[in-house]
Amino acid sequence: MQRLRQLATILGTPAQLIASRVVAAILGGYIFASIVALLLARILPVPAADALMVALLMSFLLYALAVLWVFAARTASLAWLGLALPALLFGVTAWAIGR
Amino acid sequence: MTLFAYVLVYSGLTALCLAMNRHHRQVRKGPRRKAVCISLRVSGWLILAASLLLACLSASSWSIAAVGWVGALSIAALVLVALLPWAPRLVGKLALAAPPIGLLGSLIA
Amino acid sequence: MTDGLRQSMSSLHTWGGLLVGWILYFIFLTGTLGYFDTEIDRWMRPELPLRSSAISAEETVERGLIRLNDVAPAAERWRVELAHRGNDTGAHISWRTGRARDGAPGVFGYEPLEEAGTAARRTGGGQLLYQMHYRLHYLDENDAAWIVGFCAMSMLVTILSGVICHKRIFRDFFTFRPRKGARSWLDAHNVLGVLALPFHIMITYSGLVFFMFMYMPYVLDEVYRLDETSQLRFFDNAYPSEPEYPRRSGAQAPLAPIEPILLASAAHGGQLVAVAIHNPGDATARIVVTRAPNTVRSAPQRLTYDGVTGEPIEAPGAAPAAQSAYDALIGLHEGLFAGPFLRWLYFVSGLMGSGMIATGLVLWTVKRGSRQTSGSCVHAVGRLNAVTIIGLPIGIAAYFWANRLLPVDFEHRATWEAHTLFGSWAFTLIHAVMRPVKRAWIELPAVASALFFLLPLINALTTDRHLGVTLPHDGLPGDWALAGFDLTALAVGLIFGATAWYLRVRQGHALSETESASLPVMRPRVKVLR
Repeated sequence: MQRLRQLATILGTPAQLIASRVVAAILGGYIFASIVALLLARILPVPAADALMVALLMSFLLYALAVLWVFAARTASLAWLGLALPALLFGVTAWAIGR
Repeated sequence: MTLFAYVLVYSGLTALCLAMNRHHRQVRKGPRRKAVCISLRVSGWLILAASLLLACLSASSWSIAAVGWVGALSIAALVLVALLPWAPRLVGKLALAAPPIGLLGSLIA
Repeated sequence: MTDGLRQSMSSLHTWGGLLVGWILYFIFLTGTLGYFDTEIDRWMRPELPLRSSAISAEETVERGLIRLNDVAPAAERWRVELAHRGNDTGAHISWRTGRARDGAPGVFGYEPLEEAGTAARRTGGGQLLYQMHYRLHYLDENDAAWIVGFCAMSMLVTILSGVICHKRIFRDFFTFRPRKGARSWLDAHNVLGVLALPFHIMITYSGLVFFMFMYMPYVLDEVYRLDETSQLRFFDNAYPSEPEYPRRSGAQAPLAPIEPILLASAAHGGQLVAVAIHNPGDATARIVVTRAPNTVRSAPQRLTYDGVTGEPIEAPGAAPAAQSAYDALIGLHEGLFAGPFLRWLYFVSGLMGSGMIATGLVLWTVKRGSRQTSGSCVHAVGRLNAVTIIGLPIGIAAYFWANRLLPVDFEHRATWEAHTLFGSWAFTLIHAVMRPVKRAWIELPAVASALFFLLPLINALTTDRHLGVTLPHDGLPGDWALAGFDLTALAVGLIFGATAWYLRVRQGHALSETESASLPVMRPRVKVLR
């Protein structure tokens, strides 16, 4: 328990929390947007080239929304979780469809 | 006619603006009746809608006309925002004078 | 909407805006100039004939075709291309002969049509200036594209967070309260942002779309499995290529007259851009007239006619919806469809965007108070603001001065014009660092004012394309593009001058206020009893 508390204080300074959110926003947001775009490109019921176009066109909006989420989330951990879980879900779905 | 439509945008925007208490007070002293505010708001939206329709119908390409309409909206609003603090009495007069001038300009050009 | 959300969006907006604000101002200002790139090009090449004396587009096409018949009568393909926006080579003809069996391209020929075009001074012109908004100069183009993309993404986030944290976006729509310090700057920032919000969102998003295949390569790779041929398949599907034209049949047939075809094509609207003729003089001849788009979509109109009869041939069907959306976004960004009135609207909107960024940057310093010590962070930001917001226009003015003052036959004048822009800009940085912040904010606008106001004078002293010639006079129509440039320079000079004057007066007042506050009150207080 003591170890966990020590770990929490090391990882919890305000500067680090903000840095964590910035990384989540820039890197995590990009990965999130790419994965959702990939899923869109695969599941949209239109010809492949059109689906890819739509997915790419939407990807920037998705990226922006992901960044907004990261900074709106109540805690940094929630920010990461809110990106990682859907990304995992969508990623697996996209991979499954692609086979 | 497209020019007339863009000029109408200014009048419509002014009507919407004057429907707001804060700006009505800038332009005209004294109390205002609720009926006046409502009628200004309704006429403002109607004029804006009419101007968009007129712009799209009178131009050779409706998409270009729509883009121009949005641009005209920005410019008209900018003029209005500049007039309100520095020349509030011009606001109403310009809104009334703009349509005939715009119509004349459209017919000449 | 909860306060917590508004608070976090406000912080995101402030920091996202501040960190990339200076680059974004550069991107916005140079990009905005791009809506008049052709006019700036022409001003920077004063050897070109006045537009009023230039021949019409149709006549240029006819002359071009006559010349092509002289030069390459047996060519596979002729092409007359007119001067238009996005074309920095001016009107020219080109041809292709001898398409080889194995698909090799064959021999190309090229000849400019405007004789003075070859004699005009070398310059990057307006094209170079506006291309800086995505190439950034001095950098590898790919690196620049990534930097600009990062800034554009940041801009998108900043716009969205700004809209979210703006509490009374409709009630404050027309609100501007001058002379109230930070509140006025906030009002100005809000007005410039909200009133042209559709433009700002469109220009930022479409800017990202320009390079979307580069920014999101993994999606493309994954869908088409990192395979070169598959990727080509995507581009073939998404961008149907030009149709294959039949080869020469050997049967001679006279070419249909071009005037009625040009007249027929004019019904489709849009400026005439180019005329291509495949297999001229043969029975299988095709005439393809390219006109500027008459809708927002960026794709030019290609109208095909039979080369012998002059009858129109069915054009391929409309592009699929996703392709149309892409074309529309690119078209909206470039604004190539825009006539003169619309281009001024675009220009003003772009200036509003630059102003939005500038007022945001200044607001940041004003909010944190200017009474801080000289070396503080706020002062540093204040200096950088002056350097960017006023210094960049100074650099641009210097670019135009260099165009007039550098020797005409100087080999590398195009490069050195650009060096002058950035060198002058660097000078403003040195100036701002050495002077107190408040003085810098007076002196730099004064310099900008002088540079812009005197530009038409320098023009008159070094060329014969000055206002005396370009404004209509003595029954001559003049050249409004060139006159407009000089007039705009005068107007910009006046605005900067007014700014410098206003700031000087304001600082004088502020100084006298602080002085009188430190003096003891002299007037006795009289209490009136009623």
